Parts: sequence; C-alpha cells; structure tokens
Amino acid sequence: MPIVYAVFILLLVTFGAVVMSLEILSSNLMSPYFGGSIYIWGSIISSFMVHFSVGYVAGGYLSRRFPRISVLTVFLMIGSLWVIGIPTFYKPVCELVSDRIADVRLGSLVAMNLIFFIPISIMAMVSPYIIGITASWRRQSWLTAGMVLFVSTVGSFFGTNVTAFYLISLFPVSRIVVGLGLICLCVSFLTLALRADREMGK
Amino acid sequence: MRSCSMAGLIFLACLMAATPAAAAANDQTLYEGDSIYHHITIREDGGERCMIFGRQRDLRQTCIDLAKPDASVFEYSAMMFAGFLFRPDAKKVCLIGLGGGYIPTVFRMHLPKVRLQTVEVDPHVDKLARKYFTFAVPANQALAIDDGRQFLKKSRERYDQIWLDAFNSDYIPAHMTTKEFLQLAKSRLNDGGIVIQNLFCDNKLYDAQIATFQAVFAKVFVFEGQRSGSCIIVASDRPACEPAELRKQAEKRGGKIGRIDLLAESGKCRVSLILKNAPILTDDFNPANLLLMQKK
Repeated sequence: MPIVYAVFILLLVTFGAVVMSLEILSSNLMSPYFGGSIYIWGSIISSFMVHFSVGYVAGGYLSRRFPRISVLTVFLMIGSLWVIGIPTFYKPVCELVSDRIADVRLGSLVAMNLIFFIPISIMAMVSPYIIGITASWRRQSWLTAGMVLFVSTVGSFFGTNVTAFYLISLFPVSRIVVGLGLICLCVSFLTLALRADREMGK
Repeated sequence: MRSCSMAGLIFLACLMAATPAAAAANDQTLYEGDSIYHHITIREDGGERCMIFGRQRDLRQTCIDLAKPDASVFEYSAMMFAGFLFRPDAKKVCLIGLGGGYIPTVFRMHLPKVRLQTVEVDPHVDKLARKYFTFAVPANQALAIDDGRQFLKKSRERYDQIWLDAFNSDYIPAHMTTKEFLQLAKSRLNDGGIVIQNLFCDNKLYDAQIATFQAVFAKVFVFEGQRSGSCIIVASDRPACEPAELRKQAEKRGGKIGRIDLLAESGKCRVSLILKNAPILTDDFNPANLLLMQKK
C-alpha cells in the first residue's frame, strides 16, 4: 500500500501544481490577443472554475464506475498530450476568436474554453477520483478527503509561485507549457509502471 | 477553490469601483477612489494638480500646473515632445495612455494642426481627466477607450507618430512591451514614422526594451533624464534627423513647443548603445514586470 499512497500523492501534487501553473501562464497567452485588462483575469478564473466543476463531477462519477487508478491515468495522458499541443494551436485559435468576436470579455472566455476545457477538466478529476477510490476501499484510510484536498492545494501553491516568480523570467511560455505537459505525461507513465491497481488488489 | 483569493480580489475591486467618489481626506485631496484598474487619488498642492495611480504617491502620477496647463511638470513629457522633432511634419499622432491629459492639452494648445488619437484603457481615468484636469476632446482630436494593443490591431489608420505613455513605475502592461507589439505599431506607421515610449531607466526592463526596439527598428535613440529617473526611447526606420541634428530641428521650430524648451531637451538625446546581454521581449518570453522590479 505505500506505493499506492505514493502514487496518489505524486498525482495530487503534480496535477495540483500544473493546473495553477497553466492558469498563470494563460494570461500570457491571452493578453496579446485580448489585452491585459482585469477582464482577462475574470475570463481566466471563471473558465478554470467551470473546468474544475466539470472535472470534479466527472472524476467523482468515473471513480464510482471504475475505481482504478489506471483508468484515471489514461485520461491524464490525454490531458497531458493536449497541453503539449497548446503552443502549436493557441495562436490560430486566439487569432480566429479575436477576429470574430470584438468584445474582449466574450472573446477571451471563448478562447480560454477552447484551449483549456479538455485538459483542465481532466486534471481536476484527480482529487475526486482519488477520494472515490479510497471510499471504495470501505475501510478507514489516513488519506481523508480533507488530506487529498490539502496535498493538491499544496501542489497548487508551489505551481502558482514557481511559475509567476521564476519560470516566466527564465523560459519562454511555450517551452514552459510543453515542459508541464511532458512532466504530466511522465508522471502518468510512472503511475502505470508502478501498477498501483495491483497493489490495491484491483 | 484554488483561485478563490484572486476572485475575491476582483470582487473587492468591483465593489470599490462601484463606491461613489470618496470624500476628500484633507484639503489637498480632491478625489480618492478606485477604478477597475487603479486606485486613483487626485491631489492639489501649490498650484499643481496631480492624478496619482496606486499607493506610491511619489512615483506614479501625472500632474498639471493649474495656471500654466501647458507647462511640463515632469521631465519625461518634455523629452517626449523633443522626440516629436524626429518627425516634425507629423499630421497624425496616436497617444496610448491618457493620464490627466497633459499631452493632449499641449497638442490642443500648440500643435492644433496635428490630428491626435488618444487611447486610454480605463474609462474612469477619462472621466476624472475631464472633471479635474480640464481635459477635453477638440474637433481635431479623438479618444478611444480601449486597450492600446487591441486598438492598434483593429485600426486601419496610419500614424506619423505613436506615443506610448501607458507605463508606471511598478507595473507595465507586458503585452505592450514585446517585439510583436512593436511590429504591430510599426505596421501602423507612415513611412518615416516614429514610436516614442516613456520608461524609467534604472531597471533591467529599460535595457530589455531598448534591445527589443533595436530588433524591430533600424534607428533607436534615447533621451536620458537629468533631473529624474525617466528615459524616453524614440525609434524609427527613417527618422528626419540624427540626435546630433536635433538642436537644428528645434531651432527651426523656434526652440519651443508652447512652454517646453526643445533646445534644452534635445541635448539629452543620443543613439542607444547595443546591449548584448539584454533579452529581446516577445509574446512568448516576456518577464517585463519582473525585469521592472530588478534594478540595474
């Protein structure tokens, strides 16, 4: 079981950090096309909230149907590949949207959802999915729902600060985004390699 | 949940924006309140009225002399008008950043033949400039409430000069510092047009901005402030003159634009150095606000 908990913590910290890192970076992706106003932050935050909500519901539902970490990992791989692709498709998407929608509030909202809906909704599934799996054990675990959210939020704290204070000054945004996608993909493969489901007797 | 604090800040800012203009805290404070972008204070002191952004009351401000509204209270605005001499026959100018409206006032009073298009992102700044700074939009001027980069992108107009005055000492709209933005600005210039930008020169962003301008324009000149920390960048592919000839250009105009002494200001101009270690800012690599905080 220690491997199972290690996998859970790895997933929670990694994806907790990456979603917030992407949230910070998204303002750099949006501002050339929609300006740097407070509206952009409104769009970014509200879009991510919608993605989180969808991910929470989907993660809870799927964990009840398929309480196996491998199923979650497959979704996370799809999300990771999407993130790796963002630097190649965000420019034409933003160009297209900003050319067709004059209102920067609506435009940035549409662009944010086109670019981030899939990966962030998938990544937001991690916490409820893990809570669902531990609930399926039908026995007490030290990894309570509160602990799951705590570990994920600690990851988010580091993801936010490391990105805003250091990464943006060191690397181009496109390279950071690809790097985050690759980290997510590696963590997903590692999770599969560690065969946590077998440890859990699934 | 993760973005609760940021969402809370935005909510708080909206609430504060909706609050009626705050009462004067003392005799000198004419207004204190918030727009969706700034905390704004308007103070009057010794015949000068200032619009102050943020809470660093000594740095981020725009002032006018009430008795002489065309007198340049700050060195940077006088240097920007000296930059005008690099394209002295300008007929159309675009100014990004209104503030208290000092620059449009000088255009209105002393360059009435120039058509000035001002762009200001904050509608509240426009209201305050009209109410407290006698800012008005005469027939040959226009004002757009829009983000500067979005305005230039949408506009099909060509300008002889584009002035960038949307920068503060502690915050810069990063998307208006990049190579892509300057390429956009250049594409909105007439042949021989110039871009003039106001900056503070004691930080690493200044070097990065010069390097970025040099990546886009053939000629980049700088005015270095002597009584302030302000610097002005002037860039063009084909300026009307070199810095050494600026004094002659100033003399042709009688040495003055209104109360601004062009002869004195033109002496502060030189060709910018090639800065090998400064990064070129792009939409992809843009730590502008972090560089702004790093002193040289």
